[in-house]
Amino acid sequence: MKEISELNLPEELKYSKDHEWSKVEGDIVTVGIDDYAQDQLGEVVFVEVPEVGDTFSKGDEFGTVESVKAVSEIYIPVSGEIVEVNGNLEDAPELVNNSPYEEGWIIKVKADDLSELDNLMDKAAYLEMLKG
Amino acid sequence: MYHNEIEFIDLGMIDYIEAFNLQKQYAAERASDILDHDRILMLEHLPVFTLGKRGGRENLVVTEDFLQSRNIPIVQTERGGNITYHAPGQLVFYPVIHLEKRQTGVSDFVNMLEEIMIRTASDFGVTAMRNSANHGIWVGSSKIGSIGLSVKRGVCFHGIALNVNLDLTPFTWINPCGLTGVQMTSLENERIRQTQDNNTNRDRFRKDRFRKKTENRVNTENRVNKELPDISILAVKSKMRYHFKTIVENNK
Repeated sequence: MKEISELNLPEELKYSKDHEWSKVEGDIVTVGIDDYAQDQLGEVVFVEVPEVGDTFSKGDEFGTVESVKAVSEIYIPVSGEIVEVNGNLEDAPELVNNSPYEEGWIIKVKADDLSELDNLMDKAAYLEMLKG
Repeated sequence: MYHNEIEFIDLGMIDYIEAFNLQKQYAAERASDILDHDRILMLEHLPVFTLGKRGGRENLVVTEDFLQSRNIPIVQTERGGNITYHAPGQLVFYPVIHLEKRQTGVSDFVNMLEEIMIRTASDFGVTAMRNSANHGIWVGSSKIGSIGLSVKRGVCFHGIALNVNLDLTPFTWINPCGLTGVQMTSLENERIRQTQDNNTNRDRFRKDRFRKKTENRVNTENRVNKELPDISILAVKSKMRYHFKTIVENNK
Protein backbone atom coordinates (compact mmCIF):
# COMPACT_ATOMS: atom_id res chain seq x y z
CA MET A 1 0.00 0.00 0.00
CA LYS A 2 1.07 3.58 -0.63
CA GLU A 3 2.67 5.70 2.06
CA ILE A 4 0.67 8.83 2.86
CA SER A 5 3.43 10.92 1.29
CA GLU A 6 3.02 9.00 -1.99
CA LEU A 7 -0.68 9.79 -2.38
CA ASN A 8 -1.84 11.82 -5.32
CA LEU A 9 -4.29 14.40 -3.90
CA PRO A 10 -4.95 17.30 -6.29
CA GLU A 11 -5.03 20.71 -4.56
CA GLU A 12 -8.20 21.90 -6.31
CA LEU A 13 -10.43 19.06 -4.95
CA LYS A 14 -12.35 18.68 -1.69
CA TYR A 15 -12.16 15.45 0.31
CA SER A 16 -14.62 13.69 2.64
CA LYS A 17 -13.75 11.55 5.67
CA ASP A 18 -15.15 8.58 3.70
CA HIS A 19 -12.45 9.18 1.06
CA GLU A 20 -14.60 10.58 -1.74
CA TRP A 21 -13.40 13.61 -3.71
CA SER A 22 -15.61 16.42 -5.03
CA LYS A 23 -15.06 18.94 -7.77
CA VAL A 24 -17.49 21.88 -8.11
CA GLU A 25 -18.40 23.46 -11.45
CA GLY A 26 -21.39 25.82 -11.13
CA ASP A 27 -24.00 23.84 -9.18
CA ILE A 28 -22.74 20.50 -10.55
CA VAL A 29 -20.47 18.43 -8.30
CA THR A 30 -18.41 15.60 -9.77
CA VAL A 31 -17.66 12.80 -7.29
CA GLY A 32 -15.26 9.87 -7.25
CA ILE A 33 -13.11 7.95 -4.77
CA ASP A 34 -9.66 9.29 -4.04
CA ASP A 35 -6.20 7.79 -4.43
CA TYR A 36 -6.13 6.65 -0.78
CA ALA A 37 -9.43 4.75 -1.19
CA GLN A 38 -8.56 3.09 -4.49
CA ASP A 39 -5.21 2.00 -3.05
CA GLN A 40 -6.83 0.54 0.08
CA LEU A 41 -9.49 -1.27 -1.94
CA GLY A 42 -7.10 -2.92 -4.35
CA GLU A 43 -8.05 -3.95 -7.87
CA VAL A 44 -11.60 -2.77 -8.56
CA VAL A 45 -13.68 -5.33 -10.49
CA PHE A 46 -17.09 -3.69 -10.42
CA VAL A 47 -18.64 -0.29 -9.70
CA GLU A 48 -22.35 -0.10 -8.94
CA VAL A 49 -23.68 3.36 -9.83
CA PRO A 50 -27.10 4.95 -9.21
CA GLU A 51 -29.59 5.91 -11.94
CA VAL A 52 -29.71 9.38 -13.42
CA GLY A 53 -32.58 11.18 -11.65
CA ASP A 54 -32.04 9.43 -8.30
CA THR A 55 -31.87 11.82 -5.36
CA PHE A 56 -29.74 11.44 -2.25
CA SER A 57 -29.05 13.24 1.01
CA LYS A 58 -25.50 14.07 2.01
CA GLY A 59 -23.83 11.01 3.55
CA ASP A 60 -26.18 8.46 1.89
CA GLU A 61 -24.79 5.35 0.25
CA PHE A 62 -24.99 6.01 -3.50
CA GLY A 63 -23.24 2.93 -4.85
CA THR A 64 -20.71 0.20 -4.17
CA VAL A 65 -17.23 -0.69 -5.34
CA GLU A 66 -16.25 -4.37 -5.50
CA SER A 67 -12.59 -5.29 -5.19
CA VAL A 68 -10.72 -8.43 -4.09
CA LYS A 69 -13.92 -10.24 -2.95
CA ALA A 70 -15.17 -7.26 -0.95
CA VAL A 71 -18.16 -5.02 -1.68
CA SER A 72 -17.61 -1.56 -0.15
CA GLU A 73 -20.25 1.15 0.03
CA ILE A 74 -19.52 4.68 -1.19
CA TYR A 75 -21.16 7.81 0.26
CA ILE A 76 -22.35 11.00 -1.38
CA PRO A 77 -20.71 14.20 -0.07
CA VAL A 78 -23.59 16.52 -1.05
CA SER A 79 -27.40 16.29 -1.26
CA GLY A 80 -28.90 16.48 -4.71
CA GLU A 81 -29.98 14.75 -7.91
CA ILE A 82 -27.80 12.51 -10.07
CA VAL A 83 -27.46 14.15 -13.49
CA GLU A 84 -24.82 11.88 -15.00
CA VAL A 85 -23.03 8.61 -14.20
CA ASN A 86 -19.79 7.38 -15.70
CA GLY A 87 -20.94 4.69 -18.12
CA ASN A 88 -17.38 3.67 -18.97
CA LEU A 89 -16.98 2.06 -15.55
CA GLU A 90 -19.30 -0.78 -16.53
CA ASP A 91 -16.75 -2.21 -18.95
CA ALA A 92 -13.64 -0.67 -17.39
CA PRO A 93 -13.98 -0.54 -13.59
CA GLU A 94 -10.18 -0.40 -13.34
CA LEU A 95 -10.38 3.28 -14.38
CA VAL A 96 -11.13 3.93 -10.69
CA ASN A 97 -7.65 2.57 -9.88
CA ASN A 98 -5.77 3.94 -12.84
CA SER A 99 -7.31 7.39 -13.12
CA PRO A 100 -9.32 8.15 -9.96
CA TYR A 101 -9.69 11.89 -10.65
CA GLU A 102 -10.12 11.92 -14.43
CA GLU A 103 -11.50 8.92 -16.32
CA GLY A 104 -12.49 7.16 -13.09
CA TRP A 105 -15.04 9.75 -11.88
CA ILE A 106 -18.27 8.08 -10.72
CA ILE A 107 -21.22 10.53 -10.61
CA LYS A 108 -22.23 14.12 -11.28
CA VAL A 109 -24.73 15.61 -8.84
CA LYS A 110 -26.86 18.73 -9.16
CA ALA A 111 -26.35 20.00 -5.62
CA ASP A 112 -29.31 21.23 -3.55
CA ASP A 113 -27.09 23.39 -1.39
CA LEU A 114 -23.44 23.96 -2.21
CA SER A 115 -22.74 25.19 1.32
CA GLU A 116 -22.90 21.51 2.38
CA LEU A 117 -19.46 21.21 0.82
CA ASP A 118 -18.01 23.74 3.25
CA ASN A 119 -17.15 21.10 5.84
CA LEU A 120 -15.26 18.92 3.38
CA MET A 121 -11.48 19.00 3.70
CA ASP A 122 -8.84 20.54 1.50
CA LYS A 123 -5.71 18.56 0.75
CA ALA A 124 -3.84 19.73 3.85
CA ALA A 125 -6.68 18.97 6.27
CA TYR A 126 -7.33 15.60 4.61
CA LEU A 127 -3.67 14.64 4.94
CA GLU A 128 -3.83 15.57 8.62
CA MET A 129 -6.84 13.28 9.07
CA LEU A 130 -5.10 10.39 7.30
CA LYS A 131 -2.05 10.77 9.51
CA GLY A 132 -4.45 10.45 12.47
CA MET B 1 -11.95 -5.10 27.12
CA TYR B 2 -9.22 -2.81 25.87
CA HIS B 3 -9.94 -1.18 22.53
CA ASN B 4 -7.83 -3.50 20.37
CA GLU B 5 -9.13 -6.73 21.81
CA ILE B 6 -11.45 -8.89 19.74
CA GLU B 7 -14.43 -10.63 21.30
CA PHE B 8 -14.99 -14.13 19.92
CA ILE B 9 -18.55 -15.42 19.97
CA ASP B 10 -19.29 -19.07 19.28
CA LEU B 11 -22.70 -19.41 17.64
CA GLY B 12 -22.44 -23.16 17.05
CA MET B 13 -24.76 -24.37 14.29
CA ILE B 14 -26.87 -21.52 12.97
CA ASP B 15 -29.19 -20.72 10.09
CA TYR B 16 -27.68 -18.41 7.44
CA ILE B 17 -30.27 -15.63 7.72
CA GLU B 18 -30.11 -15.61 11.50
CA ALA B 19 -26.32 -15.21 11.43
CA PHE B 20 -26.60 -12.58 8.70
CA ASN B 21 -29.03 -10.48 10.76
CA LEU B 22 -26.71 -10.66 13.76
CA GLN B 23 -23.76 -9.49 11.65
CA LYS B 24 -25.73 -6.61 10.21
CA GLN B 25 -26.77 -5.53 13.69
CA TYR B 26 -23.24 -5.77 15.09
CA ALA B 27 -21.73 -3.99 12.06
CA ALA B 28 -24.17 -1.08 12.45
CA GLU B 29 -23.49 -0.89 16.19
CA ARG B 30 -19.74 -1.03 15.60
CA ALA B 31 -19.87 1.73 12.97
CA SER B 32 -21.76 4.05 15.31
CA ASP B 33 -19.55 3.10 18.26
CA ILE B 34 -22.47 1.71 20.30
CA LEU B 35 -20.26 -1.38 20.23
CA ASP B 36 -16.80 -0.25 21.33
CA HIS B 37 -14.80 -3.31 20.24
CA ASP B 38 -14.50 -5.70 17.31
CA ARG B 39 -16.29 -9.02 17.30
CA ILE B 40 -15.77 -12.29 15.46
CA LEU B 41 -18.60 -14.77 15.08
CA MET B 42 -17.55 -18.44 14.81
CA LEU B 43 -20.10 -20.88 13.44
CA GLU B 44 -21.22 -23.59 11.09
CA HIS B 45 -24.19 -23.07 8.78
CA LEU B 46 -27.02 -25.42 8.03
CA PRO B 47 -26.78 -26.37 4.32
CA VAL B 48 -27.28 -23.31 2.10
CA PHE B 49 -26.12 -21.89 -1.22
CA THR B 50 -25.39 -18.17 -1.17
CA LEU B 51 -25.00 -15.71 -4.05
CA GLY B 52 -22.65 -12.71 -4.10
CA LYS B 53 -24.02 -9.20 -4.59
CA ARG B 54 -23.50 -9.52 -8.32
CA GLY B 55 -25.15 -12.90 -8.42
CA GLY B 56 -23.99 -16.33 -9.33
CA ARG B 57 -27.30 -18.02 -10.15
CA GLU B 58 -25.85 -18.62 -13.62
CA ASN B 59 -23.21 -20.78 -11.96
CA LEU B 60 -25.75 -23.21 -10.61
CA VAL B 61 -25.35 -26.36 -12.72
CA VAL B 62 -28.47 -28.11 -11.39
CA THR B 63 -32.06 -26.83 -11.38
CA GLU B 64 -33.48 -24.92 -8.45
CA ASP B 65 -36.16 -27.65 -8.23
CA PHE B 66 -33.39 -30.17 -7.62
CA LEU B 67 -32.05 -28.06 -4.73
CA GLN B 68 -35.56 -27.68 -3.39
CA SER B 69 -35.96 -31.46 -3.43
CA ARG B 70 -32.81 -31.63 -1.33
CA ASN B 71 -34.22 -28.95 0.95
CA ILE B 72 -31.28 -26.58 0.41
CA PRO B 73 -32.21 -22.88 0.08
CA ILE B 74 -30.43 -20.27 -2.07
CA VAL B 75 -29.87 -16.90 -0.42
CA GLN B 76 -28.97 -13.62 -2.13
CA THR B 77 -26.32 -11.69 -0.15
CA GLU B 78 -24.51 -8.33 -0.33
CA ARG B 79 -20.99 -9.73 -0.07
CA GLY B 80 -18.30 -9.78 -2.72
CA GLY B 81 -17.57 -12.92 -4.71
CA ASN B 82 -19.88 -15.38 -6.44
CA ILE B 83 -21.94 -18.47 -5.55
CA THR B 84 -20.79 -20.75 -2.75
CA TYR B 85 -22.03 -23.49 -0.45
CA HIS B 86 -22.05 -23.72 3.35
CA ALA B 87 -22.87 -26.74 5.51
CA PRO B 88 -21.94 -28.38 8.80
CA GLY B 89 -18.30 -29.48 8.66
CA GLN B 90 -17.23 -26.14 7.19
CA LEU B 91 -15.89 -23.62 9.70
CA VAL B 92 -17.10 -20.05 9.16
CA PHE B 93 -15.64 -16.96 10.84
CA TYR B 94 -17.43 -13.64 10.41
CA PRO B 95 -15.18 -10.77 11.50
CA VAL B 96 -17.11 -7.60 12.38
CA ILE B 97 -14.00 -5.44 12.39
CA HIS B 98 -13.65 -1.67 12.25
CA LEU B 99 -11.08 -1.66 9.44
CA GLU B 100 -10.95 2.13 9.35
CA LYS B 101 -10.04 2.32 13.05
CA ARG B 102 -7.42 -0.37 12.66
CA GLN B 103 -6.12 1.55 9.63
CA THR B 104 -6.32 -1.63 7.60
CA GLY B 105 -7.26 -1.45 3.93
CA VAL B 106 -9.67 -3.99 2.45
CA SER B 107 -6.98 -5.40 0.21
CA ASP B 108 -4.60 -5.90 3.16
CA PHE B 109 -7.38 -7.42 5.24
CA VAL B 110 -8.15 -10.02 2.55
CA ASN B 111 -4.45 -10.85 2.59
CA MET B 112 -4.61 -11.32 6.38
CA LEU B 113 -7.63 -13.60 6.09
CA GLU B 114 -5.77 -15.73 3.56
CA GLU B 115 -2.76 -15.88 5.87
CA ILE B 116 -4.96 -16.98 8.79
CA MET B 117 -6.42 -19.84 6.74
CA ILE B 118 -2.99 -20.87 5.39
CA ARG B 119 -1.54 -21.07 8.91
CA THR B 120 -4.58 -22.96 10.20
CA ALA B 121 -4.37 -25.53 7.40
CA SER B 122 -0.67 -25.89 8.08
CA ASP B 123 -1.39 -26.73 11.75
CA PHE B 124 -3.19 -29.80 10.42
CA GLY B 125 -0.43 -30.77 8.02
CA VAL B 126 -2.09 -29.33 4.91
CA THR B 127 -0.03 -27.01 2.73
CA ALA B 128 -2.38 -24.42 1.27
CA MET B 129 -1.49 -21.33 -0.72
CA ARG B 130 -2.81 -18.28 -2.54
CA ASN B 131 -3.72 -18.43 -6.20
CA SER B 132 -3.63 -15.44 -8.53
CA ALA B 133 -6.73 -16.79 -10.34
CA ASN B 134 -8.96 -16.19 -7.35
CA HIS B 135 -8.72 -15.02 -3.75
CA GLY B 136 -9.13 -17.54 -0.96
CA ILE B 137 -6.76 -20.45 -0.36
CA TRP B 138 -5.94 -23.47 -2.43
CA VAL B 139 -4.31 -26.89 -2.20
CA GLY B 140 -2.87 -27.40 -5.66
CA SER B 141 -5.73 -26.67 -8.04
CA SER B 142 -8.47 -27.36 -5.49
CA LYS B 143 -10.01 -24.65 -3.36
CA ILE B 144 -10.20 -25.22 0.40
CA GLY B 145 -10.98 -21.78 1.88
CA SER B 146 -13.15 -18.95 0.55
CA ILE B 147 -13.54 -15.24 1.26
CA GLY B 148 -16.41 -12.80 0.76
CA LEU B 149 -16.72 -9.42 2.50
CA SER B 150 -18.93 -6.36 2.75
CA VAL B 151 -17.73 -3.01 4.05
CA LYS B 152 -20.22 -0.49 5.48
CA ARG B 153 -19.11 2.75 7.15
CA GLY B 154 -15.59 1.42 7.63
CA VAL B 155 -16.73 -1.85 9.25
CA CYS B 156 -16.46 -5.20 7.51
CA PHE B 157 -18.70 -8.22 7.85
CA HIS B 158 -19.27 -11.57 6.12
CA GLY B 159 -15.92 -13.38 6.14
CA ILE B 160 -14.22 -16.70 5.55
CA ALA B 161 -15.20 -20.34 5.22
CA LEU B 162 -12.69 -23.16 5.60
CA ASN B 163 -13.69 -26.67 4.54
CA VAL B 164 -12.92 -29.01 7.42
CA ASN B 165 -14.77 -32.30 7.03
CA LEU B 166 -18.00 -31.62 5.16
CA ASP B 167 -19.52 -33.67 2.35
CA LEU B 168 -18.19 -31.88 -0.76
CA THR B 169 -20.78 -33.30 -3.19
CA PRO B 170 -23.03 -30.17 -3.24
CA PHE B 171 -20.07 -28.12 -4.53
CA THR B 172 -20.33 -30.16 -7.74
CA TRP B 173 -23.80 -28.68 -8.26
CA ILE B 174 -22.26 -25.22 -8.78
CA ASN B 175 -19.25 -23.57 -10.36
CA PRO B 176 -17.79 -22.49 -7.00
CA CYS B 177 -16.93 -18.78 -6.88
CA GLY B 178 -18.04 -18.59 -10.52
CA LEU B 179 -15.04 -20.61 -11.71
CA THR B 180 -15.58 -23.52 -14.07
CA GLY B 181 -13.57 -26.70 -13.64
CA VAL B 182 -12.57 -25.93 -10.07
CA GLN B 183 -12.75 -28.68 -7.48
CA MET B 184 -13.25 -28.10 -3.80
CA THR B 185 -11.37 -29.96 -1.13
CA SER B 186 -11.29 -30.11 2.67
CA LEU B 187 -8.70 -30.60 5.41
CA GLU B 188 -9.98 -34.13 5.94
CA ASN B 189 -9.84 -34.90 2.22
CA GLU B 190 -6.26 -33.68 2.02
CA ARG B 191 -5.23 -35.65 5.11
CA ILE B 192 -6.65 -38.85 3.58
CA ARG B 193 -4.93 -38.12 0.28
CA GLN B 194 -1.57 -37.55 2.02
CA THR B 195 -1.88 -40.80 3.97
CA GLN B 196 -2.64 -42.65 0.74
CA ASP B 197 0.33 -41.00 -0.95
CA ASN B 198 2.59 -42.02 1.93
CA ASN B 199 1.35 -45.61 1.74
CA THR B 200 1.91 -45.70 -2.00
CA ASN B 201 5.40 -44.34 -1.51
CA ARG B 202 6.11 -46.91 1.17
CA ASP B 203 5.03 -49.77 -1.09
CA ARG B 204 7.25 -48.46 -3.82
CA PHE B 205 10.19 -48.01 -1.46
CA ARG B 206 9.83 -51.57 -0.10
CA LYS B 207 10.80 -52.87 -3.50
CA ASP B 208 13.68 -50.49 -3.59
CA ARG B 209 17.23 -51.58 -2.93
CA PHE B 210 17.67 -48.68 -0.54
CA ARG B 211 15.03 -50.32 1.56
CA LYS B 212 16.53 -49.70 4.96
CA LYS B 213 17.37 -46.08 4.34
CA THR B 214 13.99 -45.17 2.90
CA GLU B 215 12.04 -47.03 5.53
CA ASN B 216 13.73 -44.91 8.10
CA ARG B 217 12.57 -41.86 6.23
CA VAL B 218 9.00 -43.12 5.91
CA ASN B 219 8.98 -43.95 9.61
CA THR B 220 9.96 -40.38 10.38
CA GLU B 221 7.16 -39.09 8.15
CA ASN B 222 4.65 -41.35 9.84
CA ARG B 223 5.76 -40.12 13.21
CA VAL B 224 5.23 -36.52 12.11
CA ASN B 225 1.76 -37.43 10.88
CA LYS B 226 0.91 -39.01 14.21
CA GLU B 227 1.74 -35.76 15.95
CA LEU B 228 -0.74 -33.82 13.82
CA PRO B 229 -3.95 -32.98 15.68
CA ASP B 230 -7.13 -34.82 14.73
CA ILE B 231 -9.28 -32.90 12.31
CA SER B 232 -12.46 -31.69 13.94
CA ILE B 233 -14.40 -28.43 13.84
CA LEU B 234 -13.50 -27.83 17.48
CA ALA B 235 -9.75 -28.28 16.92
CA VAL B 236 -9.71 -26.14 13.75
CA LYS B 237 -11.76 -23.43 15.44
CA SER B 238 -9.27 -23.19 18.27
CA LYS B 239 -6.30 -22.85 15.88
CA MET B 240 -8.05 -20.36 13.62
CA ARG B 241 -9.01 -18.22 16.61
CA TYR B 242 -5.38 -18.21 17.72
CA HIS B 243 -4.20 -17.02 14.29
CA PHE B 244 -6.87 -14.32 14.20
CA LYS B 245 -5.56 -13.00 17.49
CA THR B 246 -1.98 -13.04 16.26
CA ILE B 247 -2.58 -11.55 12.83
CA VAL B 248 -5.52 -9.16 13.30
CA GLU B 249 -5.53 -8.26 16.99
CA ASN B 250 -1.77 -7.84 17.33
CA ASN B 251 -1.22 -7.13 13.63
CA LYS B 252 1.82 -9.44 13.44
